[in-house]
Amino acid sequence: MDRFELRYQDYSLSEDQQTVRDAFRDFFTSESPSSRVRAAEPTGFDERLWRQLSEMGAASMSLPEAVGGDDATLLDLLLVAEELGRALAPVPCIEQAVSARALHAIGAPSDLLAAAADGSSVCALAPEPVGRGARQLVPGGAVAQNVLALDGDALVLVHSDEPPAHVPNQGRTPLAWWDLAGGQRRELARGAHAVEVYERAQAEWKLLMASALVGLTEQALHIAVEFAKTRETMGVVIGSLQGVAFPLADIAIGIAGARNLTRRAAWYLENEPGVRPDLVPAAYAYAAQVATHGATTAQHTQGGLGFTTEADASLYFLRAKGWSVLFGDPVKDIAAAGRLLADELPSQTAPVLAAATG
Amino acid sequence: MDFSRVELDEDQQRFLEEVRAFTAEHVTEEVHEHERQTGSGFNLGVHLELGKRGWVMPEWPVEKGGAGLDPVRAKLLDLELHRARLPDVTMGTTRLTIGTVEKFGDPIMVAEVVKQVAEGTARICLGYSETESGSDIAGAKTRAVQDGDEWVINGQKIWTTGAQQCQYAFLITRTDFDLPKHKGLTMFLLPLEVPGVEIQPIHTYGGERTNVVYFSDVRISDRYRLGGVNDGWSVLRGPLDDEHSIGGPEAERSFQDISIGSMFVHQLERALDAAYAWAKTPAPDGSRPIDDPLVQYRLGAVALRLEASISTPGPLGRVKGSESLVLGGAELVDLVGPLALISEGHPDAHAGGEIDYSHRFAQGTATYGGTVEVFRNIIAQHVLGLPRANYPGHKVLSQKRRESSAAVASPVPQPA
Ligand SMILES: Cc1cc2nc3c(=O)[nH]c(=O)nc-3n(C[C@H](O)[C@H](O)[C@H](O)COP(=O)(O)OP(=O)(O)OC[C@H]3O[C@@H](n4cnc5c(N)ncnc54)[C@H](O)[C@@H]3O)c2cc1C
Repeated sequence: MDRFELRYQDYSLSEDQQTVRDAFRDFFTSESPSSRVRAAEPTGFDERLWRQLSEMGAASMSLPEAVGGDDATLLDLLLVAEELGRALAPVPCIEQAVSARALHAIGAPSDLLAAAADGSSVCALAPEPVGRGARQLVPGGAVAQNVLALDGDALVLVHSDEPPAHVPNQGRTPLAWWDLAGGQRRELARGAHAVEVYERAQAEWKLLMASALVGLTEQALHIAVEFAKTRETMGVVIGSLQGVAFPLADIAIGIAGARNLTRRAAWYLENEPGVRPDLVPAAYAYAAQVATHGATTAQHTQGGLGFTTEADASLYFLRAKGWSVLFGDPVKDIAAAGRLLADELPSQTAPVLAAATG
Repeated sequence: MDFSRVELDEDQQRFLEEVRAFTAEHVTEEVHEHERQTGSGFNLGVHLELGKRGWVMPEWPVEKGGAGLDPVRAKLLDLELHRARLPDVTMGTTRLTIGTVEKFGDPIMVAEVVKQVAEGTARICLGYSETESGSDIAGAKTRAVQDGDEWVINGQKIWTTGAQQCQYAFLITRTDFDLPKHKGLTMFLLPLEVPGVEIQPIHTYGGERTNVVYFSDVRISDRYRLGGVNDGWSVLRGPLDDEHSIGGPEAERSFQDISIGSMFVHQLERALDAAYAWAKTPAPDGSRPIDDPLVQYRLGAVALRLEASISTPGPLGRVKGSESLVLGGAELVDLVGPLALISEGHPDAHAGGEIDYSHRFAQGTATYGGTVEVFRNIIAQHVLGLPRANYPGHKVLSQKRRESSAAVASPVPQPA
């Protein structure tokens, strides 16, 4: 890596991307209000919403047109995920999109791909290779018929006609235990490419989840800011107090950075894979930190109210952790970023040193 | 969205090589040693060489003394000067203010200054802060009183970085103590080489030199006034907003840093690279610190701060960049241990003392150019739309300040 290389620093969205974002924002605003999010608890699955979204092509849009997709990029999917997070939409859209892309990348049989693309069955992704433990809590697993997993160097699809029982959890997501060593397993591919496809799917899941967490945190912040503009104490609105305003400013700082970092990481993954692999775990870990901290601050801004189940802020608080830790401790991603960067940086530093730039 | 390499055409490639040859020749170890010794953020020799090539104001047309560089070349120049670690604080304050001088200054005066700035013979420092008003810039009470075609200036500025190597100060003065606070200010481009200006150094533990500047019955011509009398605040807004980077959208096909904290980010990059060099050095038994998961985590945590800073836009990035350097610098000192404490310049210093330096240098970044708290106020009000607190001294000059001003200001001749 050359830190002084001239590269574009273009985080902007194209007009098409803005259209995609706006369309999904409108859709989720009208179809996934907090009443629907609550109604979908405790399993965290809204079947009608899932069907609507599948019709919109949310999971298939990033597949090639030839197999029923829209040729959308990973970057486009980030925009959908951010809107999904903003609305806390109770649908396994991220899992499905990532699995569909992996099935396509591995050249899976067309019936499998078609089912993943049209949403007629749900396909989830195992958070860890089977070698780390065959019994795994799979995100989306309680509504999935298929789970994509890596066993040794084999990419396998584990099937169950009836999804396993839902496990109640903090994030109100459709978590379930899957035995990935048993059941109906179908080997899709074996070897280095299979491992690569699985790891790529993990990376994509993390980036899409990072985007969802950005959307989640931004809406939590919005709730807190609106509250802080009107709630009064001793004759002043609380938002004019720096003890209230500064933590909210810090969330805004975190959101803006996490969103852009996620975009940059996804751009590299999609366009120059292998050049900045450290950015994926860094973006994911940062989004997880920002969401945890942001949702905590946002609910606290509402005082006692924020601690109650009645407050929408509580929905955001519970999912901030309930989503971000599904693939394991994000601190491991920080270590991964640290390890990956070691190979990207030269071993020698420039010999010069001067004081003062400010 | 695009983060690809900017493809250089043949001419641009040649230009890049020209710049690299320039930095190799001129931004030498002696230049760095001079900077270590003085902390002045400026090197006269290099600055004049830059001026010869039109590179002080590289995007200005050649007729105006610039080099007429297109944005790609200008950015290449910028990157290579950063790579070579050119001490550039004074060039920065000059560039920040010259546009406003052009816009508001007397045309004949402007023509002179523009020429000198471009060739490098004139530099401009920022005369905003006073001992009693830093964050509260509009509380300035350095007094300017009109006397015919002249102004008489009395008072004192502090933190006037680079004044000792500048010909002009972009100076904020008070011309009316009774009007609302922001309405009684007048801006000047004050020539520093006139009787009554006294510059004294202040040293920071970050290594920088800055100054106190005293003005005692300093007389300057009215041609050095910028904008209308008592209209200084609208003159100041331009460079102030630039420094605070309010506005700047995330442009398409842009290769500019989106964060205004990117200056601080460069220092964190150097410290992190130095820490990696340490972590990748094998011990006699062949083990390397980087093979330890805890070290991976600690380096990753600083890398995360760095990357988040690079990607955080505008005024938000200013806070993030500074705080990442403050926290990251401290973390890297802990990680590398006592070795990181050895002073720069000592042969045993790790990577030239980069980590030690970062930790010290970092602290100033939270203060100058507007403190991180001032920026949080800006974010709260302008990004989040939260109401501003009602401070008694927001719109009016506080009584305390008026009284203390009357006490310290030397008697000045009244306008005829
Ligand atoms: C190395 C260095 C170089 C500098 N160079 C220049 C220069 O070239 N030209 C120039 O004019 N100035 C310069 N400055 C001055 C700098 O801009 C001021 O130091 C800065 O604006 C803070 O002002 P102050 O030091 O008076 O602190 P104060 O404004 O008194 O602040 C003290 C503390 O209170 C906090 N605070 C103040 N107001 C608020 C508020 N409204 N809300 C919340 N917290 C608040 C601050 O954040 C700070 O922590 C430089 C400073 C340094 C250290």
